[in-house]
Amino acid sequence: MTQTPPTTTVETLAASARGLTKTYGRGDAAVNALRGVDLDLAAGTFTAIMGPSGSGKSTLMHCLAGLDQPTSGSVAIAGRRLEKLSDDELTVFRREHLGFVFQAFNLLPMLTAGQNILLPLELAGRRIDGAARERSLLLADVLGIGDRLGHRPSELSGGQQQRVAIARALVGQPAVVFADEPTGNLDSTTSAEVLDHLRRCVRELGQTVVMVTHEASAAAYADQVVTVADGRVA
Amino acid sequence: MRSVWLGSLRTHTRRYVSAALAVAVGVAFVVVTAALASSTRSGLAAGIDAPYRHADAVVKRPDVDTAAALVETHDASPVGWTDQPVRRGDRVLANHVEIGVSPTEPAWQWQDLTAGRFPVGPGEALVDTNAAKAKHVALGDRLRLGTGEQRLDVTVVGLAKAPTQLAQATVYVIWPDLLTWRDQVFLTSIGVAGDTAGIDHAQPVDTYLTDVRTELDRQVDVVALVLLLFAAIALFVSVLVIANTFSILFAQRMRDFALLRCVGATRRQVARSVRLEAITIGTLASLLGLVAGFGLGDGIVRLIGALSDNAPLGPVDIGLGWIVGAFVIGLVVTLVASWLPTRRVLTVTPMAALRPHEDVEPRTGAGRLRLALGLLLVLGGVALLTMSVAARNTLVMVAGGGAAFTGVLLLGPVLMPALVRAAGSLLGRFAGPEARLASANAVRNPRRTAATAASLLVGVTLTTAVLTGMATARDAITDAGDTDHPVDLTLTSTTPLPGDVASRAGAVPGVAEAVGLAGTRAQVAGRDVVLLAAPASHDVLRSTAFVPGPGEITLPADVADAVPDTVTVTVGGHRADLRVVTASSFSQGALVTQQTLADLSDHPETYAVWVRADDGADPDDLGGDLGALAPDADLENGLADRAWVDLQLDIFTGAVVGLLAISVLIALVGIANTLGLSVLERSREHALLRALGLTRRGLRRMLAAEAVLLSVVATVLGTAIGVAFAWVGVRVMVAQAFDDVPMVLPLGQLALVVLIAAGAGLVSCLLPARRAARVAPAQGLALD
Repeated sequence: MTQTPPTTTVETLAASARGLTKTYGRGDAAVNALRGVDLDLAAGTFTAIMGPSGSGKSTLMHCLAGLDQPTSGSVAIAGRRLEKLSDDELTVFRREHLGFVFQAFNLLPMLTAGQNILLPLELAGRRIDGAARERSLLLADVLGIGDRLGHRPSELSGGQQQRVAIARALVGQPAVVFADEPTGNLDSTTSAEVLDHLRRCVRELGQTVVMVTHEASAAAYADQVVTVADGRVA
Repeated sequence: MRSVWLGSLRTHTRRYVSAALAVAVGVAFVVVTAALASSTRSGLAAGIDAPYRHADAVVKRPDVDTAAALVETHDASPVGWTDQPVRRGDRVLANHVEIGVSPTEPAWQWQDLTAGRFPVGPGEALVDTNAAKAKHVALGDRLRLGTGEQRLDVTVVGLAKAPTQLAQATVYVIWPDLLTWRDQVFLTSIGVAGDTAGIDHAQPVDTYLTDVRTELDRQVDVVALVLLLFAAIALFVSVLVIANTFSILFAQRMRDFALLRCVGATRRQVARSVRLEAITIGTLASLLGLVAGFGLGDGIVRLIGALSDNAPLGPVDIGLGWIVGAFVIGLVVTLVASWLPTRRVLTVTPMAALRPHEDVEPRTGAGRLRLALGLLLVLGGVALLTMSVAARNTLVMVAGGGAAFTGVLLLGPVLMPALVRAAGSLLGRFAGPEARLASANAVRNPRRTAATAASLLVGVTLTTAVLTGMATARDAITDAGDTDHPVDLTLTSTTPLPGDVASRAGAVPGVAEAVGLAGTRAQVAGRDVVLLAAPASHDVLRSTAFVPGPGEITLPADVADAVPDTVTVTVGGHRADLRVVTASSFSQGALVTQQTLADLSDHPETYAVWVRADDGADPDDLGGDLGALAPDADLENGLADRAWVDLQLDIFTGAVVGLLAISVLIALVGIANTLGLSVLERSREHALLRALGLTRRGLRRMLAAEAVLLSVVATVLGTAIGVAFAWVGVRVMVAQAFDDVPMVLPLGQLALVVLIAAGAGLVSCLLPARRAARVAPAQGLALD
């Protein structure tokens, strides 16, 4: 691994949120998904955001990850304030500094696993050089999908699909990897494997991972657990 | 199931819009055809009895001598005309003007006078009101009709409109004056009043008019039938578009159908509900098409009426049969198109609803049977086309073309993705990751790709075939025109022209080259003709086929036919025996070599001027200017004749392409539709791409690239097939008329077709792309 060991101290923040609110709809139909969240996530840690459905944990992650704009409040990732960015700037920021793993529909069906892994680099307009290719192959090997790179998503099992998604999230060496219920569609054995892979990313690669889950067993893999209920951090 | 039917219609109305639009356009096409046909029919039939109101009997198509005799012996009025050039002063007003008969007997006068009076004697003329307005002819103007010795000077004494197109001419003179061109008059009929016993071929007026009306109806029917052929093409494209729409919609709704089965709906109930939807769409769209067709038909008739005073258009009266027919066609088209997709719905099992949400990715391909059949049809079609070229058989050609094209459509699911992939990789080299994603998207569902492309393929193939065929035919016709009109304009006089006439002609704007021809009056086989020496330089000629060699004389065809192969030419005391060369293209005087003329005449003078025009010179202006140089000389304007032929070809090509454009339009609606529905299907994918860092603009670019790839590949393939069909068509049809026809590719026009298709593809993706780009990255990822 060519990755330099993390030079950041535990006190360095990978992500932070202040006074974050998010309201959907207007008037009587307004739904307050977030009601003022303050949160600090240290770099190089594995954080689980937990809460029942409808608690606002996915909304929190979407706002943290720059996938959605908060109604008020501020978000900073790797020292960059996201709420001030335009849609295009946010998009560019995402592809350069963030990685994503979702519950389902992680992969583009018309691309092979290998193409899916390299997609973020390609979208960023980076040249797919030998180093990038090597890194993607290495990741694929580490994740145990090295022999599946030529296959399309429909030919992969759910666990394999999630591992391809993890490889893709890591290929750009992002500041933070966000995972939204990454094991939601998997059986317990496969779930354990995927979670183990995520934890190894943190331990061995110094990666920061934020995972949203409603399963306590999944949260157990994390260094710290943030519980969200009714749009607030409990 | 009624609630299901209504509910689905409500929910999916927007997705059906384009399918409905495709049907509506086709139905409107049929209704507009009916409107134009009815209007033309009543317009043409209006007033046809006007010239015969005083008549008791009519003789159909009498020859001039019969008519002249009848006028002598009976109270009779001929209807007909001759085609002559008309000058005012030195200017030629027009080269081809129909000169008809103005009866002197008030009871026979059928034109509607708008100013002045009817001619009562020789040298007086009545002029069509609209033509007079266009050419600024006023009462009292002096006009010269005809040329050379067959000419007539007249004074305009009246202006009139013709109540019927069938008898309409531009200038009317009295019958004895019309006989100036006795050998060139064509008569449609002659009305006779009083005692008609003993007249050959006389028939009652009513019988004659009924015959004329029947013939008119038949002609209108033929035109309507041709229009309906284009409507059929448009409707065929509609079927492709609608079938594709239903396929996509039903694929997207498979889970709904499965759920219905789960809660107890039988297979038949589901099928009935879906078919009811199709019937509803078909009914509404057909009604829409009827209304649009009525409005459009009426609008077009009004527009033509406003633009042209002469158009033979009467009131629009669309019969009930047409209305019912158009409606039924729209409905049947919708039902036929929905039939196959509906059958697929029946195969859904209730189990499909119970499975966890999986990414619905209908990877449809082509069955082996379909591919085999497609291949067979392509090969068989090509064999038939080859045969048709050898046998010059149009019927075999049409069968072969139809088979080959159907084969290509069947092979579409294999052929189109392969071509799109190839084009996509080419595009990807320049346009980055969006283009690569686009080409991957465009081919992920081969059958959908093929169906979408097929609809465009139909129109483009036909359009490019017509364009190429016409360009080739035009080339052949232009070559023939060079032989038929070897000199652009000729001025030939029966008296010597001023010596400087050639240099003055050369100074006229638009003249590239002018040459004066030396000549003399001579006796050829007892006829008095102008004998001209062929010019030493052939720069002025477009074809030298008719130029005589030593010891030869070129004579107009009608003279040459009447004389022996060798004729004696006498000029004063000189004489020579010359071999006759016939030239159908040469109609003025006789042509010999300069040496022959020098041998025959001691004092040749200028008797003619030959002119070659600049490219793009206006034939009528040129004719007017040159005619002014020698008012008494005979002007032959080959350039104008050729320009007229060119105009006919332009009109024909324009009409066909315009009619085909309607089916291309429907196809583009189809592309927008496929793309729009695919965008709905892929909203999660787009959200994922956005999350991974594709900008809004990048997403729009991706969809645009997909649309352009689809439309350009379909267009290029269509163009290739179209050109191939045109080649066969030229071999089979044009080669019958012309010997050696080299293929001409109208590259500019073909490139324009591809460009328009690409542009239209871009336009068609605008709405879906906007919609797709609006989705926030997080929105699309939420689980449903």
